[in-house]
Amino acid sequence: MKVVLKLLKNPTSLIGIVLLLTYVIVAILAPAIAPVPQNSRDPYMIPRDGFKTAPGLPSAKHFLGTTEGQYDIFYGIIWGTRTAFRVGIIVTILTLILGLVIGSLAGFYGHWIDELLMRITEIFLAFPFLLAAITLTSVLQAIYGKISAGPLMILTKLLALITFAQGFDQALNPIQMSILTGMMAIIAFGWMTYARVIRSNILSVKEVEYSLAARMVGANDMRILFRHLMPNAVFPVLVMASMDIGSYVLTFAALSFLGLGAQRGYADWGQMISFARNWIPSLAENWHIVVFPGMAIVLFVLAWNLVGDALRDILDPRMRGRGAGL
Amino acid sequence: MLTYIIRRLLLLPIILTSVTILIFAMMSLLTPYERASLYVSDIPKQSGALEGIIEKYGLDDPAPVQYWYWLVGRTDPETGEIKGGVLRGNLGWSKTGKGDVAEVIGRRLPATIELALWAGIPMIAIGVWLGVLSAIHHNRLIDQLLRVFSIVGYSIPVFVFGLLVLLIFYARLDWFPPGRLSDWAAQIVQSNNFTSYTRMYTVDALLNGRLDIFWDAFIHLVLPVITLAYLNWAYLLRVTRSSMLDILRQDYMTTARAKGLIENVVIRRHALPNALIPVVTVGALTLIGLLNGVVITETVFNYPGMGSFLSEAALSLDVVSVLGFTLFASFILVAGNLFVDVLYGAIDPRIRLE
Repeated sequence: MKVVLKLLKNPTSLIGIVLLLTYVIVAILAPAIAPVPQNSRDPYMIPRDGFKTAPGLPSAKHFLGTTEGQYDIFYGIIWGTRTAFRVGIIVTILTLILGLVIGSLAGFYGHWIDELLMRITEIFLAFPFLLAAITLTSVLQAIYGKISAGPLMILTKLLALITFAQGFDQALNPIQMSILTGMMAIIAFGWMTYARVIRSNILSVKEVEYSLAARMVGANDMRILFRHLMPNAVFPVLVMASMDIGSYVLTFAALSFLGLGAQRGYADWGQMISFARNWIPSLAENWHIVVFPGMAIVLFVLAWNLVGDALRDILDPRMRGRGAGL
Repeated sequence: MLTYIIRRLLLLPIILTSVTILIFAMMSLLTPYERASLYVSDIPKQSGALEGIIEKYGLDDPAPVQYWYWLVGRTDPETGEIKGGVLRGNLGWSKTGKGDVAEVIGRRLPATIELALWAGIPMIAIGVWLGVLSAIHHNRLIDQLLRVFSIVGYSIPVFVFGLLVLLIFYARLDWFPPGRLSDWAAQIVQSNNFTSYTRMYTVDALLNGRLDIFWDAFIHLVLPVITLAYLNWAYLLRVTRSSMLDILRQDYMTTARAKGLIENVVIRRHALPNALIPVVTVGALTLIGLLNGVVITETVFNYPGMGSFLSEAALSLDVVSVLGFTLFASFILVAGNLFVDVLYGAIDPRIRLE
């Protein structure tokens, strides 16, 4: 509670919180702000007004103009808010869980399990993050449709269940598939820092008296790990992860920008900006195809960073009592 | 120090082997049809051709066997020629680049190095300077402004920033064009009168004494360099600032001031050398991190380097190229990390003594 109060008192984090709340409201009210056309099959597909190639300038009918192929920018930005939250939050939670499981197993069991898991962590760290995400996305997209069963498909379906609330029996369409592959790639190469931090936290709380006390009264490994150690080791990592939501949204937007995340016409900010690549010489006239979706991403990520930045200062004990401006 | 370096060097083969295993694991998710690109440039369009290739190169062998051949290459039973083999530098055939993956990387590498070199110096110098400035004016207006600058800085995606500078400086003002050379300059560079020493155009132009081409290559570099540098300034600024603030609170800083040293000397002689220790690491890591940055930057600016090659290959799902490139990049990263660790040990006595 004290932390929340401090966040509200700090002007920069207050701006962040207000921005975030605005985005949350926009995401919730999306159907009211940008009504779905009646003949639409998927509300996340941006409605088109004709098929002319050249982008349309802002007008009475299209408040923020249209992109190449006449996709309505206003609609895309509003519904894109939902995509951003969905991708950002789900990716963060799943990456965090993966990191928590690996890190806590390594820290708790020690010995060869620790050694093995930490070496695996190092291998994953040997890849530049964005490159690795691009690589894995393209691998997963290349094999899509060629394998129907196997553990990979089960994982994909699980992710579809979480992301699109889609049952196991339904087939995945290519649009969903390309979003899911992008998310999977980010998760697969994002967990390492969390694993390392949680491991060292567990190592430091493992030898504390209450853990020994729990063992004395006969608690089993899992109970000690999950009831006694995790809650004490997990909090700093939670804070870390919450600050990373912005950067995951950025990474996914980058994938979409390259044409690997969300597909053409899907309400996703990165995808909308990728249209601008074809209009670089005439950007002076078609400024709106960069500026509006760009603003949506920048403010979204900025909001997370403002809150995260303030949170880090508040929670960092070294910074305590050193004046409000820090 | 020596044992430290030796220990790190001994770990190197283990990490590199693991990297190849992970890359190979991703590779083996592909169908034999796609993996055929590892050994042949084209599959003849006749029935049985694919089966022949699968048979010949053992693309349905058990995974460990395939991994071994992927590493060392496989001898063609008829011609005796060795095909494939990552250790021999054969990364397979790139459908996107219409050539061997390694050859395409080699062709594209000078452009990226040129970009990274031009970006590196202003990036680190200005980033560190801003950080120091922020720390010595702690909590004053300039610090607050720089703080806002850095938070906004790392909230802007590379591609948005790149497109915005293109909008202003190319589409509107027409000062700095995208691409790498103007058409007229490209013609001269490809002609026989122009000797390509390094295939970095700014360097070659100077060596050939062509200032007009140097200028043309230079104005093409300005926007991508600004884009790469700006996004890293935000990060370097923060690291330098917090490291500098830590140092400024140390007791020996008070001692230095108590001795009556003027502030300038205190900062330059006592604070800065110590504050720069973490910055050196971060700076070097940022240079390696350009590997990430160039992918988007080169794509936005249509700059024909390694990064734009990767994004083209990824988009056309040319996985053999993508994985070959990633393997190359991760080797650079591992080597770079090793270098940074050794450097860190060399400049920080506390680590050296451990």
